[in-house]
Amino acid sequence: MQCKASEADVSSQKRKDLSLFFEPQSVAVIGSLKEGFFGGYVVVKTLLNAGFSGKIYPVNPSYQEVLGLKVYPSIKEIPEKIDLVLIMINRQSVPDVMRECAGKEIKAVIVVADGFAERDEEGAKLQNEIVEIARKAGIRIIGPNTAGIVNSANGLTPDPYEPGYEKVKSGAVAICAQTGMINPQAFPYADLHYGVSKICDYGNKCDIDECDMLEYLESDPATKVITMYLESIRDGRRFLKIARKVTSKKPVLILKSGRTKEGAKVSASHTGSLAVNDQIFSAACKQAGIIRLEKFREFFELPKIFSLQPLPKGNRLGIVTFTGGVGVLAIDEGAKYRLSVARLSPEIAEKLNAIFPGLGKSVVDIGPPMVVNNSITIYSDILKTVLLDDNIDCLLNVIWTSPFEEVVEEYLKFFGELQGNYQKTIATWIYGPSIPLINDMASRMEDLGFPVFSDLEMAIKALGIAYQYSNQKKGEE
Amino acid sequence: MMGKFPIFDRVKKEGRSTLTEFESKKILKQAGIPVVETRLAKTSKEAVSLSQKMGFPVALKITSPDVIHKSDSGGVKLSLNNATQVKKAYDEILKKVRKQYPDAVVHGVSVQKMIRPGTEVIVGTTKDPQFGPVIMFGLGGIFVEVFKDVSFRIVPINQRDAQEMIQETKGYPLLQGYRGKEPANIPALVEMILNVSKFVEENPQIKELDLNPIFAYAKGAIAVDARIILE
Repeated sequence: MQCKASEADVSSQKRKDLSLFFEPQSVAVIGSLKEGFFGGYVVVKTLLNAGFSGKIYPVNPSYQEVLGLKVYPSIKEIPEKIDLVLIMINRQSVPDVMRECAGKEIKAVIVVADGFAERDEEGAKLQNEIVEIARKAGIRIIGPNTAGIVNSANGLTPDPYEPGYEKVKSGAVAICAQTGMINPQAFPYADLHYGVSKICDYGNKCDIDECDMLEYLESDPATKVITMYLESIRDGRRFLKIARKVTSKKPVLILKSGRTKEGAKVSASHTGSLAVNDQIFSAACKQAGIIRLEKFREFFELPKIFSLQPLPKGNRLGIVTFTGGVGVLAIDEGAKYRLSVARLSPEIAEKLNAIFPGLGKSVVDIGPPMVVNNSITIYSDILKTVLLDDNIDCLLNVIWTSPFEEVVEEYLKFFGELQGNYQKTIATWIYGPSIPLINDMASRMEDLGFPVFSDLEMAIKALGIAYQYSNQKKGEE
Repeated sequence: MMGKFPIFDRVKKEGRSTLTEFESKKILKQAGIPVVETRLAKTSKEAVSLSQKMGFPVALKITSPDVIHKSDSGGVKLSLNNATQVKKAYDEILKKVRKQYPDAVVHGVSVQKMIRPGTEVIVGTTKDPQFGPVIMFGLGGIFVEVFKDVSFRIVPINQRDAQEMIQETKGYPLLQGYRGKEPANIPALVEMILNVSKFVEENPQIKELDLNPIFAYAKGAIAVDARIILE
């Protein structure tokens, strides 16, 4: 049921350049302008709210004006050049609108409308029809069955669903998926403190697919790390070739569903695409240098180690913790990713022992000195000292918030000073007696560039994949 | 159009897609992949002289594109230790096959040297609808059948890939010589995997290839049975 572009078609089109999608000077929005939580009205509203830098042309024959903007009865009536069109109408009408787009020499279309190859035979036929029209006219398509794209830099957040917040925080993580669960309505991008560069839900991938996105993001200066959710791959060999090239420049993290036979079956009806043998996909990831994720949560959490922290030079793990027990767990967990516990250099161990007798060990346990000092100021001295050790490549930083806001403020002051003045990869896990306090501290630390992970295992895994990637890059040199 | 291996074209012309074991081994040998010495005899006399040259014990197998399950049809005789046994086996094989498959095209009977069993491993290739040719490595017997203890890579592979394929299998410690067992020569296996990858890469008409079993020894590795299926 999948419409597949042949190799010749693929090469005849400009593959890499998706800038019309992500940096359009003008966007036409074709769809319902009724107020609600889905549709053209929402798209116009989210674009306005996010301060989109280009022009917006709502298109609908039944309206004259929406949100202070002139509404055009059809694409043809718009007097100016249009870079990008969003189509949110019922599936039967999409081919006609595509023809109009061809007439208007539009080159980039996002088909939000669903009910195509993912639904039934008729939908598959319609999908083939729009691909045919697009190919003849040289139009590139994202979708159908997509919740669209985001560029956080220019306020291009044409979300067909109401997100309820204005801006997606800018950052260096690009997120791509075959689902709308990554789009602004589904995730609190305003509150995710690591920030994103681009978002793309490629839906049924009738034209633009994971490979096109990888190629585009490879040369996107705003993107430092790419994270992808895949249900299927359109062209395995092309994927392998492109992924290899991209991973030599930027880390690529992939979460793939359909690992089980049952899952693969459901995927086929979700986006109308062919499932991939999981073992073979794993092999492809290994050969392409892709970091394969296992859990949904990792998809949103792990990329930030790459977007916020430097790569570790090796696998020697330092541990600073308020509780010794966690240190042991961390060592066990680290072994899974071939992280080995760093042996402190004699010089640093001596300095730590001078701060508190017995502190200069592999697991630097802050608990005892803190109790004796009855203050957390000692923490900053200890962390600074540990970060000077040449025997450490990456650091697990476990912090106890205490129940007091002023303590958290003190920590944050220290991290503000530390910002930019260290070379090691730091992953932090925060625990304490108050969830609001933990969350507040975590988000403010991330604003300062120190990624905070939801649990100990996640923090270790972040360091583990950072090491894996840095090691892989070394191998390529 | 004649490719590097004329057998492929001949097989296609005959309207078949499966090569006989004898044909498969002949090609693999030419491709630099070690296979057990296997010759084709057209008469019992020839079988006897071939086995004498090779040295006993030998195995005899029916060679016919129309007989897929060679042992089920009585087309295989193992551990033949002298000329009398070979002659008798040859006649029996032909008699049984002719009875069960009266219309079968018979190329002859292959004579193979019986070699000392080593640690059994397998190497195979198949074509994935999305990734094209993929190569598989595993430990033979129950490891592959019950535990599915196999590793994959997409063709073509490099030396590191081949090494990792072997190390990834759970049975890897057995290949290193577990509890005093003879270890397997890993570099020889790596070379074999690399050569198979190269071979299927250069011959895209191959749909499936199976080297099962391969006997791995401390000093090398050799494929005992082989099968090639074309597109």
